[in-house]
Amino acid sequence: MFSIVPYAGQHTGRGWPVPADGYSAEAAQASMERALAQFELADQLGFDWVTVAEHHYSAASLTPNPMVMAAAVAQRVKRAKIALLGSNIPIQNPVRVAEEFAMLDTLSGGRLIAGMLRGTSNEYATYGVNPAESRERFMEALELIVRAWTEPQPFGWLGRYYEYRTISIWPRPVQTPHPPIFMSISSPEAAEFAAAKRISGGLAVTTLDRARESVRVYREAADTHGWEPAPEQLLYRIAVHVAESDAQAREDWAPLAGAHGHAGGLRLSTGNPAADEAATRAGYYGRDTPRQRSRLHAGGDIDARLESAQLMLGSPVTVLGQVDRLRRELGVGILELIFIAPGPDEARRSLELFGTEVLPRMWEL
Amino acid sequence: MFVENSVRADGFEIRYLEAGDGPPLVSLHGAGGLRLSRAHDLLAGTHRVIVLEAPGFGESPANDRTSSLPELAGTMLRALDTIEIERFSLWGQSFGGKLALWLALQDPERLESLVLSSPAAISDNPPPYPRPEEMASILYAHPDRQTDTGSLAPDVDAKQRALVGRLIGPPRDPELEAAMRTLEVPTLVLFGTEDRLTPPELGRIYRALLPQCHFVIVYDAAHVIFADRPEAFAAIVTDFVERRAEFVMRQESGLLYP
Repeated sequence: MFSIVPYAGQHTGRGWPVPADGYSAEAAQASMERALAQFELADQLGFDWVTVAEHHYSAASLTPNPMVMAAAVAQRVKRAKIALLGSNIPIQNPVRVAEEFAMLDTLSGGRLIAGMLRGTSNEYATYGVNPAESRERFMEALELIVRAWTEPQPFGWLGRYYEYRTISIWPRPVQTPHPPIFMSISSPEAAEFAAAKRISGGLAVTTLDRARESVRVYREAADTHGWEPAPEQLLYRIAVHVAESDAQAREDWAPLAGAHGHAGGLRLSTGNPAADEAATRAGYYGRDTPRQRSRLHAGGDIDARLESAQLMLGSPVTVLGQVDRLRRELGVGILELIFIAPGPDEARRSLELFGTEVLPRMWEL
Repeated sequence: MFVENSVRADGFEIRYLEAGDGPPLVSLHGAGGLRLSRAHDLLAGTHRVIVLEAPGFGESPANDRTSSLPELAGTMLRALDTIEIERFSLWGQSFGGKLALWLALQDPERLESLVLSSPAAISDNPPPYPRPEEMASILYAHPDRQTDTGSLAPDVDAKQRALVGRLIGPPRDPELEAAMRTLEVPTLVLFGTEDRLTPPELGRIYRALLPQCHFVIVYDAAHVIFADRPEAFAAIVTDFVERRAEFVMRQESGLLYP
């Protein structure tokens, strides 16, 4: 179960960055508490993972440092793994990322899933990192983080983008040799890199057709490197809403189709067209730019979203069928669910229905 | 630019190349023989760089006399005596790294600092010596970026391989490792992330053995770090040779605007 931890209060801001006019500290506190309670419930219902992510300067997400949120989650979620997808490593200090991940793995008793992402294009305006260098920074930072986790002796790092004269992190990760790493495999460059490094792949802000192509590139590249990704190494993030009946679920979701989902709710990359345009020209999206950018504008009405696997919606039986479709079509073993509902009560009911009526039957698929 | 010269030591005529002014930095080449690079030029910007060719390498006659690396190290020290280099910093690459360690152990007082790049002094699982046709892809992370990929005339290659094979010694040498524990010279040990001949995991052994060792991993470099990453290599070596253990503290200002 994934929560971006949206701000639950009213705000007038459009675009990105979002101004703090009318900001309510109480609303922000309530938003965080709501997310923590949701994570806690997911844990009690038997979900395997809870996930937080890094986004900056937006009411869409109150977790600019997902490490801090994950530390709070670790106090409430007793059994489930705690995933961060991600840390946006190209805009961070990689040694600090390695240290914080190691702290979280220690605090959580070895339950950390270390997602490492490039982030959305707007994130590059956050700390003033050139998006043209995003991919090279990502590759180097990832290698440095793994080295910082695993190298027993103090060492220095002479990189292209990072240089440290001495590194020796404490604490060390609990999991050996290190926590599982997930990265996005949506772009062909990322899929090929993940395959070469045997890193697990994640698919988010995408559609079935696009994901199918990403998985094909990933599997083919893995094959040339002599391995095959297991289902547990493939993750698909998708919005979901479960109600007692299909009709009820549709009725709940009808007012949300315009405001939520990839195109509507986030307004991160798409919230600052000039920044996204600059990032595009800098080569941020890589050799598959039109296809990668089109992911941000997928959206559509409920039927279009269901068909393109941006949304799972309906009764438990219907949603189970939608889960099975993703498993069959993509071979994904991990579904990362964003529960989107008209209000907190419906969201809670949806989570409970999924946990009690869908989740136990997923193992039979 | 580097000027060629030669010096006699232990009955050998030893070729050496020299450039730059400043504190002396002596360089010992790897098993492939003496080859200059952009990194050597950069180092010569701040140091008097003296690149020695070990007898039996390159165009020099086959060396059947030297019986061990410690003996060869003694010969190189006597060559430096004749060139009148008293105190110096020493950089050894690969095979030259093992030679540099033996040299440092014979006369540690003369060394300001020691730099070992991809040293071949310790190996847990030594890979076979690369065949000539695979050499470039093993020596360099980006062979396509190299103008000189290090191919050798067959007779030179055979002569050098025989000499290295005779002198290199065991992959784990208890005598050398025991002596390393006593070597109080500030030492920088560099390994490349893409090195398959001497993988970077070996660095931790040096770090644990040498009392004053700084181990640095060089990203996106294979065995010949100074060819794959010449600017980075020259910068860190210059800084270490000048500041030794203090090089962990940054000197450049981070001030953006006054």
